[in-house]
Amino acid sequence: MIERFIHAVAVEDPGPEEPAQTRDRLRDLFPPGATRRMTQLGLVIGGVLHPLDPRETDAIVYASTHAETRALEAYLASFPNASPMLFQTSIHPSAVQQVLIAWERPVGQFFPLAGRLQIVAHAVQTALLASGSRSILCGGEERKPVLLGQGAGSAITFAFALALTPDPAGALGALALSGGGAPDGRLLLCDFFAAVRDRRPLRQAAAPGLELILSWT
Amino acid sequence: MAPPDSQPLRLRATGCRTALGDARATCAGLLLGRRALELLPVLGSEGGDPVPLAPLPGRNLMETAPPAWLSCLDELAAEIPPAPWGSARHPVFVTSSNFGVGSLYAVQRTGDPRHFATGMPFATVEFIGARLGWGTNVTVVSHACVSAHVGLLLAERGLRAGLADRALVFSFDFISPFVTGGFHALKILNGGMPAPFSARATGSIGLGDGAAFAVLELGQGGYRLSAQATHNEMHHFTGNRPDGAGFATCLAPVAAAAAGRRLWIKGHGTGTLEAGRLESVTLASVFPGAPLVSWKGSLGHTLGSCGLVELAVAIAALDSGRTPGTIAAEPPCFTDTVAIAPFANGGFDGVVLASNAFGGAHAACLLSHD
Repeated sequence: MIERFIHAVAVEDPGPEEPAQTRDRLRDLFPPGATRRMTQLGLVIGGVLHPLDPRETDAIVYASTHAETRALEAYLASFPNASPMLFQTSIHPSAVQQVLIAWERPVGQFFPLAGRLQIVAHAVQTALLASGSRSILCGGEERKPVLLGQGAGSAITFAFALALTPDPAGALGALALSGGGAPDGRLLLCDFFAAVRDRRPLRQAAAPGLELILSWT
Repeated sequence: MAPPDSQPLRLRATGCRTALGDARATCAGLLLGRRALELLPVLGSEGGDPVPLAPLPGRNLMETAPPAWLSCLDELAAEIPPAPWGSARHPVFVTSSNFGVGSLYAVQRTGDPRHFATGMPFATVEFIGARLGWGTNVTVVSHACVSAHVGLLLAERGLRAGLADRALVFSFDFISPFVTGGFHALKILNGGMPAPFSARATGSIGLGDGAAFAVLELGQGGYRLSAQATHNEMHHFTGNRPDGAGFATCLAPVAAAAAGRRLWIKGHGTGTLEAGRLESVTLASVFPGAPLVSWKGSLGHTLGSCGLVELAVAIAALDSGRTPGTIAAEPPCFTDTVAIAPFANGGFDGVVLASNAFGGAHAACLLSHD
């Protein structure tokens, strides 16, 4: 079993909030003018990374199944005069880059993952195997765009971040993966988010041979 | 048996596809100075300015449903040593920047919903995995043009943690109007052919199709990777710190691992001016005298697949005994270490492989041979 301990948790659960409202609510977390071109996903990712105060020595693992779907849709609509700004912001892992570039926070290890049914298991594995003393596991989605549809977007906007270290002292909980178990498994990002938000324990086959165990003290 | 931490990371097999063919054909074409890039309309059949592109032979930029590039992946996958890929002990790491985003462009232009099957990254990977008979232990990595390096690093960590017997890193990016239009809007995909590391008045890149794989395991023998390193400047979306500090930070562990070796360097070298100058100057400083090459003046920038495509070509070059030079580079270059002509590589005992990406992301590693 590989395991790290949870020392900080942050969640963003803005419900039906529109991007403009999110921008107004989180504006103070960023330098003046920085939020003007940020996506809703970038804003809520900033909302959960801010209290964890990312450092250069941290490993940041970022998971998003759908990523910047609104920017993607707007970029596609900009043709034949493609928008350079929307091109940049539509590319995964733009959300974390929007935030850390605004804050000018370099980071040695940055592991952006996509995927769907096994994304949580693989993001957790990446965070648990990261070198260095602290890894930040974060993820999120923004509510689906109007036109793409067809499974190309998330039903809800959310973000979460967990600060993980090998030190059990004073931990809020633990996150682990054990081997063996089911030959298959799945766990959606939104379901993992809900467990983190509600501080609910989880024990679930999350990928082939990987059982995810989330526990709280 | 030696503990996983002390065993070399061995490349059991590698392969690639570019506009010039498989790894051996690509290397041979590069050694002959062939340039796959040609001036084509930036939006494919929809027209636009002519820009340097290197799609697979006969491939149109406008996506079909299913994508025409699937046959390229089928051919490439046939070279992968058989194993229960995607099972618990045989994980797959799929890395790309664009995945099937050309399909989203197509659905937006044509309204044909069949394109959704390969539109989003997860959908593309699930589609390919089912087609190639993989299980679902497939990690999907998306970090723009350092995606392949990140996949190689995550594969190594899984192996060293004892979670896998072998790992497959599989990478692809196929150009579409989505990406050609974007780089054209950024004005770096323009009418000029790229001349990597050349001190010209105007920089320019080319874009190409690319796909590649590497099978990794722990053990002795053959080619090995070490000192895999990354650094993310987070200074600007499309620019690097002007002092080159981000490049140097990433290269430091590679330099330590390569001390005492005679090296050549496969750089990123897209053809942009500022990044090309920073890269070549920093590499010349960290690895004095080591010849530096880029192959993007022929193949174009194959985006998220470039790190793995160029790894496979580097191995083909080592097998052939000659390293292709920096095709289309023109003196004066930013440093005198830029190798324009091919050279014999028998006297070298290591290759530094480096890639860079949006957000000031840098990745590098050392390729060597027992």
